[in-house]
Amino acid sequence: MEERGGGAGGFRKDTVDRLLRLHFRDGRTRVSADAQLLMAELLKVFVREAAARAARQAQAEDLNKVDIEQLEKVLPQLLLDF
Amino acid sequence: MAAAGGEQQQMLTQRLKAAVHYTVGCLCQEVEEDKDVQFSKQSIAAISEITFRQCEIFARDLEMFARHAKRTTVTTEDVKLLARRSNSLLKYITQKSEELASSNMEQKEKKKKKSSAAKGERTPGEQEAAVTENEDSNMA
Repeated sequence: MEERGGGAGGFRKDTVDRLLRLHFRDGRTRVSADAQLLMAELLKVFVREAAARAARQAQAEDLNKVDIEQLEKVLPQLLLDF
Repeated sequence: MAAAGGEQQQMLTQRLKAAVHYTVGCLCQEVEEDKDVQFSKQSIAAISEITFRQCEIFARDLEMFARHAKRTTVTTEDVKLLARRSNSLLKYITQKSEELASSNMEQKEKKKKKSSAAKGERTPGEQEAAVTENEDSNMA
């Protein structure tokens, strides 16, 4: 696997922090540095999982282009797994 | 005033969405090369939107988990709890968190050695590195 956190093909620590803070209800809530890196990793896994499952669905349908249709088919189970 | 604040909030949301979209694009490209398929632009946009909305669920959960443990700071324990539903995911995240913890320990030891060893003999470059390290750990 690649290096943790930022760099090529991953979410930046700062982006993750802002994304999370955007939705916190309590203004006092903070995210520790390690948790930011781990969340970046989790989000990367989420995106790759979505992409890989949609790709597998497309291949099962004998297509080589993934469209929204394939994504829609794998979305329910993806959301159940996260 | 309130309207200006709302506008600013919207700008921030747009920027964050753009950042997510860019990263999702990069990650999808990797999957494309891996699996030998192509992603349509719409499907990449859809994955970005899904990810952005999933962040809201993640953030609310993390905040609740932290508060449940009477903390205001979200830690790696809360993130692990977020990954509880899938066994393999939990294993992967736990392993990553251990890697992070051990690399932190190493850094701390290095810092100790640095400060206890040659205090006056530091080159400016080393000093700068130490400063950025400090800033990093203060980000929490």
